[in-house]
Amino acid sequence: MGNWGFIGLAYGLAFVALVGYLIFLKRRLRGAGEELAALEQEGGRRTR
Amino acid sequence: MGRGSLATRVLGGAAGLLLAMGLYLGLVVAPPDAVQGDVQRIMYVHVPSIVTAYIAFFVVFCTSILYLWKRDLRFDALAVSSAEIGVVFTGITLATGMIWGKPTWGVWWTWDARLTLTAILFTIYAGYLMLRAFAEEPLAGARYGAVLAILGFLDIPLNHLAVYWWRTLHQPSSILRPGGPSVAPAMLLPLAVTFAGLALLSTYFLVERIRLERLRHRTAEVRLKRGRRG
Repeated sequence: MGNWGFIGLAYGLAFVALVGYLIFLKRRLRGAGEELAALEQEGGRRTR
Repeated sequence: MGRGSLATRVLGGAAGLLLAMGLYLGLVVAPPDAVQGDVQRIMYVHVPSIVTAYIAFFVVFCTSILYLWKRDLRFDALAVSSAEIGVVFTGITLATGMIWGKPTWGVWWTWDARLTLTAILFTIYAGYLMLRAFAEEPLAGARYGAVLAILGFLDIPLNHLAVYWWRTLHQPSSILRPGGPSVAPAMLLPLAVTFAGLALLSTYFLVERIRLERLRHRTAEVRLKRGRRG
């Protein structure tokens, strides 16, 4: 592998790690938001 | 749930813009190194990543002390969120360092003091996150985690000084050194721009990660209230 191969590998890996973390974070946010919304909706129905 | 505030999205956009500029400056504009040639360009992602990680762990260190002192869960939320970001950036530093090491040192990895202490730093805070995730009693997990985070932070000054105390393969600091940076201005600019981009990106991650922690706290509160009502 030439110099630019190592450079591409380093930058590519950093890019994948950052975008991967962003996707992971957004998925967890969506999951947590949906879970809370479902709980509150269920609670609202019970109160009524 | 919402998609985050306008300010958060502007922060994310600004980070992306700065990182694109840093990429262009580092890969196209900056000259190749006189000794290492083009492969030295890995520095423009390697060095800003570890500086970002150090800042993230400094936030964990401060907020862990504040949590133990005040027992305010907002400090704990900030600590656990910042630790996760620090682990991501330390992982990037280790990976890019290994890739840089192969063409310059001839090996992907060596048990040199700087490399070993960075691997230990990664392990300490990855362990912290596991402790937080698997603690049966969340408040006890927060307390033990804070102690681990404070003690773990001692690895950072040790890591910084390792290249001066021991004979290491890793070069001494080129920026945070007595007498100022030894890097040429043409190389300092892409470093500074990429660091600014990563600093904004990590702030964006932090804001979103704290939002996740708040949602989890709120969910736990709702469950607790429901449990009390039977």
